[in-house]
Amino acid sequence: MTAEDRPNATGLAAKPEDGLLKAWVADHRRVASDTANFISQRILGSFLVWVMLGIALTLPGLLWIAQSNLQAFGSQWQGNAGLSVYMEVGASESQVRDLAAQLQQNNTVQRAVLTTPAAALEELLARSGDSEFLREALASIDVNPLPASFSVVLKDDASYLALDALSRQLLALPGVDDVVIQSAWIERLQDLTNLANAIGGGLSSILLAAAVLVTFAAVRLAIESKLAELRVLALVGATASQMRRPFLYFGAAYGVGGGIMSVLLIALFLNEIEAPLESLLISYQIDVSLAGFSPGFLLAVVVTGWLLGLMGALLALSQKLGDLTKEAS
Amino acid sequence: MTFLQFDHVTRRFDNGQEGLSDVSLSIQQGSMVFLTGHSGAGKSTLLKLLIGLESPTSGRVIVDGFDLNKLKAKQMPWYRRQIGIVLQDHNLLPDRTVFENVALPLRLNPMSAKDAARRVRGALATVDLSDKGALLPRHLSTGEQQRVGIARAVVTRPRIILADEPTGNLDPFLSRQVMALFHQFRDLGTTVLVASHDIDLIKDQGCRILHLSQGSLVQDTGENPGAEAQ
Repeated sequence: MTAEDRPNATGLAAKPEDGLLKAWVADHRRVASDTANFISQRILGSFLVWVMLGIALTLPGLLWIAQSNLQAFGSQWQGNAGLSVYMEVGASESQVRDLAAQLQQNNTVQRAVLTTPAAALEELLARSGDSEFLREALASIDVNPLPASFSVVLKDDASYLALDALSRQLLALPGVDDVVIQSAWIERLQDLTNLANAIGGGLSSILLAAAVLVTFAAVRLAIESKLAELRVLALVGATASQMRRPFLYFGAAYGVGGGIMSVLLIALFLNEIEAPLESLLISYQIDVSLAGFSPGFLLAVVVTGWLLGLMGALLALSQKLGDLTKEAS
Repeated sequence: MTFLQFDHVTRRFDNGQEGLSDVSLSIQQGSMVFLTGHSGAGKSTLLKLLIGLESPTSGRVIVDGFDLNKLKAKQMPWYRRQIGIVLQDHNLLPDRTVFENVALPLRLNPMSAKDAARRVRGALATVDLSDKGALLPRHLSTGEQQRVGIARAVVTRPRIILADEPTGNLDPFLSRQVMALFHQFRDLGTTVLVASHDIDLIKDQGCRILHLSQGSLVQDTGENPGAEAQ
């Protein structure tokens, strides 16, 4: 025993003034290293936690990608939105000209293409493969039974409401027999999308809560396994934050691992559906490539996992460490 | 100079029982004092009040001029770092080596790894366990485990050592070894307070003895600086 073993002469409950930042950084480094050891020593259990968190994060991630792609698809379709205007059979040329002039002056209309009764008849015959029967039937009547029609395409920023208003306005014009909006099915699709978003939002909330609970359970077990150490640390003067720190690291590590697992699962899923989805869209002559799986999205998933992991850890700490931290503080 | 002071301290538990009843005493800095009495006499309650694990129902516990009741919650960990605590059951972590167990309190303090290792080696040398640092506690005898507990208590160079039945599991020879260690720390200026019911061992130490019974201080032998340490 030497003079070095003499007691410290600092104030009774005073914080040391020097080296606190250094000690804080050193403690973080030590806790990070301990966390890596703790997880690697329980790699199977940790892997299962990551998988559970990954699955819980995957559905919200996929829903987000689906939502952003449907929005892109909807906006692309809206660019080509339009309607077909059918004149009455026998409508006068002046009525057709008036309508064409009105369409040209309308702000929401990008272009309007007139199909004359004669052109429509030619098209019908062409589509029927120049059917002899149809040609003879048409020859037996004196007048062309097909009406003139306009194919109207609206501007990109035109909404469905504008389309509907134009449709009503045109229907009221003399010589106009019918107006067919070409977007009714898209509106239904949008309604379905809204419904899917609402259901998806609810499911996502449940799954994200499940992710918090998974981390909560994992961190709680970690606290249980370190209770003896925590009791000693409380006795020798650990602050509440020093006692919490390792478990916040556990929660963060579980969360980040779960986020990375989720990214992998989403990538696998998208890879599986990409080819059949493209084939389906091509059959509908829709040119939309899958969007949303960007670096920003990947980062968002991992950060979400990290935050959920921290939340789970804080929940576990508030429940299990309450008494010990009271002792420590 | 008075270092520890109990001023009419009463500690009443939730069930109405009194762990301590109107106890007043003072202990000089750098002295070694024994607390004795039967189980339930109030020895552990007195130590817990000093550690800050319990608060007095009435009265004041004053350490180095600070009323512990007035310490802010955030100050309590820093206060505890001034105390070395030795318990009968050692509280060693079974999955950590002797070296890691002794180093545990140092990781809370701003200190380089090199300095911490030097301190731990010094503490282990003090308790004559320099060659056992790499072993797990289960590979040590009970006496060696107790000495590891003492090394952990003194590694931070505390101003007070509080020991609760530190020789409860030891034979007379090992008990005297432990007492000799406490005397060494006392000689370096550390205030040592030992709770024990081993009257024979205590009498041999030539130190002040406070006898508690049913929560009351019933006997105080007073300081006996002339006595030889064993």
